[in-house]
Amino acid sequence: MTPTWYGVSAEPAIEARDLEIVLPGGDGVGPLTASLAPGEAVLLLGPSGSGKSTLLRTLAGAIPQTVGARVAGEARVCGLDPVVAGVVVTAAHVGVVAQDPTSGVCLPDVLDEVALPLENRAVPRADIGPRVAAALAGVELGAYAGRGTQGLSGGELQRLALAAATVARPDVLLLDEPTAMLDAPGVAAVRAAVGRVAGRATVLLVEHRLAEYAGEDGLAALPPRTIALDRGGRVLGDGPTAQVLARHGAALLAQGCWLPVEVELDVLGLDVATLARRTLDALRATDAEPAPPCPTASLAPCADASPAAVLTARGLGVDVGGRALLRDVDLDLRAGEVVALLGANGAGKSTLLAVLAGLVPPAAGRVAGPRAGLVFQHPEHQFAAHTVTAEIGFGLPAARREAVVRARLRELDLEPWADRSPWTLSGGQQRRLSLAAMRAHDRPVLLADEPTFGLDRDGAHRALRALREAADGERRAVAFTSHDLRQVAAWADRVVLIADGGVLAETTPAALLQRPDLLAAVGMRATPWLGHLARHGDAVVRHALRSLDAAVPAPLPEAAR
Amino acid sequence: MSASFLGACNPAVKLAVLTLCSAGVLFLTDPAVLAALCAALLLAVVLAGRVPPRDLARAMVPFLAFGVGTLLVNALARPGTLLWPDLPVRVTAEGVRIGAMLALRTLVIGTTAVVFAATTPPQRLLTSLVEHARVPPRVAFALLAGHRMLQTLPEQWTTIRRAHAVRAPLRRDGRARFGPREYARCAFALLVTSIRAGERVAFALESRGLADGPRTIWRPTSLGVRDVALVGVVLGALGVAIGLS
Amino acid sequence: MRDLVLLVVLGVVFGFLYWVLVQAWTALSIAMGPAGDLAQHVLFGGWLLVAPLAVAILRRPGVGILAELLAAVIEVVFLGSPVGPLLLIAGFLQGLGSELPFALGRYRSFGWVRFAVSGLLGASLVFFWSAFRFGWYGQDLLLLRFGIQALSGVLLGGLVAKVIVDALLRTGVLASFPIAAASRSAASAGSTAPGGGAGDPDLVRRER
Repeated sequence: MTPTWYGVSAEPAIEARDLEIVLPGGDGVGPLTASLAPGEAVLLLGPSGSGKSTLLRTLAGAIPQTVGARVAGEARVCGLDPVVAGVVVTAAHVGVVAQDPTSGVCLPDVLDEVALPLENRAVPRADIGPRVAAALAGVELGAYAGRGTQGLSGGELQRLALAAATVARPDVLLLDEPTAMLDAPGVAAVRAAVGRVAGRATVLLVEHRLAEYAGEDGLAALPPRTIALDRGGRVLGDGPTAQVLARHGAALLAQGCWLPVEVELDVLGLDVATLARRTLDALRATDAEPAPPCPTASLAPCADASPAAVLTARGLGVDVGGRALLRDVDLDLRAGEVVALLGANGAGKSTLLAVLAGLVPPAAGRVAGPRAGLVFQHPEHQFAAHTVTAEIGFGLPAARREAVVRARLRELDLEPWADRSPWTLSGGQQRRLSLAAMRAHDRPVLLADEPTFGLDRDGAHRALRALREAADGERRAVAFTSHDLRQVAAWADRVVLIADGGVLAETTPAALLQRPDLLAAVGMRATPWLGHLARHGDAVVRHALRSLDAAVPAPLPEAAR
Repeated sequence: MSASFLGACNPAVKLAVLTLCSAGVLFLTDPAVLAALCAALLLAVVLAGRVPPRDLARAMVPFLAFGVGTLLVNALARPGTLLWPDLPVRVTAEGVRIGAMLALRTLVIGTTAVVFAATTPPQRLLTSLVEHARVPPRVAFALLAGHRMLQTLPEQWTTIRRAHAVRAPLRRDGRARFGPREYARCAFALLVTSIRAGERVAFALESRGLADGPRTIWRPTSLGVRDVALVGVVLGALGVAIGLS
Repeated sequence: MRDLVLLVVLGVVFGFLYWVLVQAWTALSIAMGPAGDLAQHVLFGGWLLVAPLAVAILRRPGVGILAELLAAVIEVVFLGSPVGPLLLIAGFLQGLGSELPFALGRYRSFGWVRFAVSGLLGASLVFFWSAFRFGWYGQDLLLLRFGIQALSGVLLGGLVAKVIVDALLRTGVLASFPIAAASRSAASAGSTAPGGGAGDPDLVRRER
């Protein structure tokens, strides 16, 4: 801890002693006492709202200088007190990558973006070119030199931000949910890039959706040490990742973290085979749902006796930015059915939804059906009122307004925020609100674009349960886009694969899980355990996954906390 | 773009010349001189700036429209000698002269602005302003970040408009109503999301060490004989024009 | 830095919105023929918005002028404004006019009247410059022009700014800017004794 005057020191890269931060409004994190050795990689894990981003931003020097807050205790980053030093001074030792790809890249030009940190540090001109090139190569963006940043995908932007954060070879790399807004291939690319460019830096990774971040490699892909926080920002545990997850897994799951499924099964004392067997037994015993009516690997639509389509699209063409993306799309949405639309990034799913909702005229073909409701990916794009209550009641006739609003507030656990501005809610609350507002209208067709994107486990399940309820309880036709196979398998009746400029296949979740070729075409891969479950058919997949969700004690509704 | 003479000139110098032109034109009152200047300028733009004539023509449309409007208003709204006493409306000689002068000034300034925009990437301009005009780097990079944000706004605007169209009440013909209120809501949503994004951008810039202290400029802009020539030619032309006017 | 970027963001967003508006407007003003030249005064107030917003949010001297200057740079450099660099002079005058009433209130008073006066001054000061630039002096329309522009300034550039500031404050996006601190202290002024030193009651940790 004692800095040595001759410049060589054995001090930790990051040191916190009783560090506690309280934000305006009363949310806080800590007190945390921990020490990270130079070169160590640590995972900071906690449910959304636990203040892990706040902690990270404090270490980066942003709090309390740019965001008002009360900071107690002590923090040191490479011997520097970030609380006193501020962001710019701390930046001499630290690189940061934040969540949002769009605002994490600041400049219009790729090369300028990566050169900026070197220019700021007054690195000699001759050295900058080679270092920029090396940094871009490290994140596999070597071919992007000379291009503009406009039109890059989220995954490319995050890798570019990573190159900019590491080009100056910082001693500490702070990663704040760097993959939260990416699809599976984007997550894998960013994770691989982190491994390559971190070098000798101390890495502190903040994450709550571990299952996605770890991908197929599970625990092995995570940093070896974990500091876990609970929902209130208190430290649950600090130690080897496997050990912390084993000890606190149940609490973390209950509070909404996504953990790798092996950990989840461990917590429940299960393995996949047992889970499948128990589900089969349960299904036979209750006869709740008949066995799948058709061979699981077949691609033919299974249910013949389905109700008539509410919304039909025939020969649909979809253009984005003047480019023909989709052609000859035939699609039926039926009452009481939940359909998942799967496709790689940029395949045209979002625009397809907009066409189905009648917001964008199709380039070819036609859509027949009533006016559909559409929940957009970013809830804040859709807000139209100044309070949560008014937001849900927006556009409703006065006579029905109060009753409908009250029912929806309750259904989506929004009552405590009824008078708040929609903009002040957290991401998860905002998403529930936009769902509630769309559900308030009796539209026979309900569409949702990535309804679980960036949500914690609890928020995702609430959102999907609400969609399921719209189909089961109110006999609406529901369709949503998703990148999350587990959620699709648990909640959708039918999957439509969008690839190669059209509908590649229509099938059931279990059948899809056994077709690696189809999954690859939409940028997905089935994890072995999902593949194992899928062999038992759709009923087992669905029941097993939902019981897995239910087996974890659901957290108290936010209102009761 | 940079293959042309003007494309290779120093952006800060070009900006100074542009400012000089816009100010100098205010001293020109003779429509004939202005017309000659305008013609010379257009020729120079095509030759020295290598701006394709078709692009130039398209960019000039708003200035033309504005110029014609100015000419008409002045011709009709200024007291003075009547040109055509038989017409039901009053058209005065003074009005036409002043109108033509103002319209041509607009065209001259417009042409310089177009050629400046066509031959100057914003990144280079701001680099050069930091280098030669002592603009603080923080201001320059804030502006560049603004430029990037501007590039993303049209797409965001489309998305927000769609997101609100889903919720908008229907008109009688069954299409979503989209009047001033709906536009105002969309504009507000755009403003709020942009302010949030701005805070994140500011943090990203600072976390990369951006400050007004000593720094390297990786790709400096050149300053040379070419720029001296540009200033000389433009000053000369302007001087002759003012002398004639 | 955050304040600088905010000013740029305001300039960019309003520049873009103004551009969207002008798309619809250009067709109309061409259709209106000579009257189209007058139409510019109706929307004029929209140009002023940025300055009162910036002053009300950041509450520091000079930000109104700086905001208008940055907005002018954005217009010229990124949007290719027809006016060219002389827009900087117009921007400076607009900013000066808009900021003046707030400066006289020592950046503490932000009522409706002050916003209205801000819009009025912002519109008038620059009017004399534009009148010189575009030769409006000597036209019969001079007073009509001034009237429309001043009214537009008061409404669009003054009162609308106040509406937007209040709405923004409610959304919480301004939480870390001076305006939020000012409204918090105004709200708690009644309950806590001034200078009590007990710390911001807002920063007491809430257990969950």
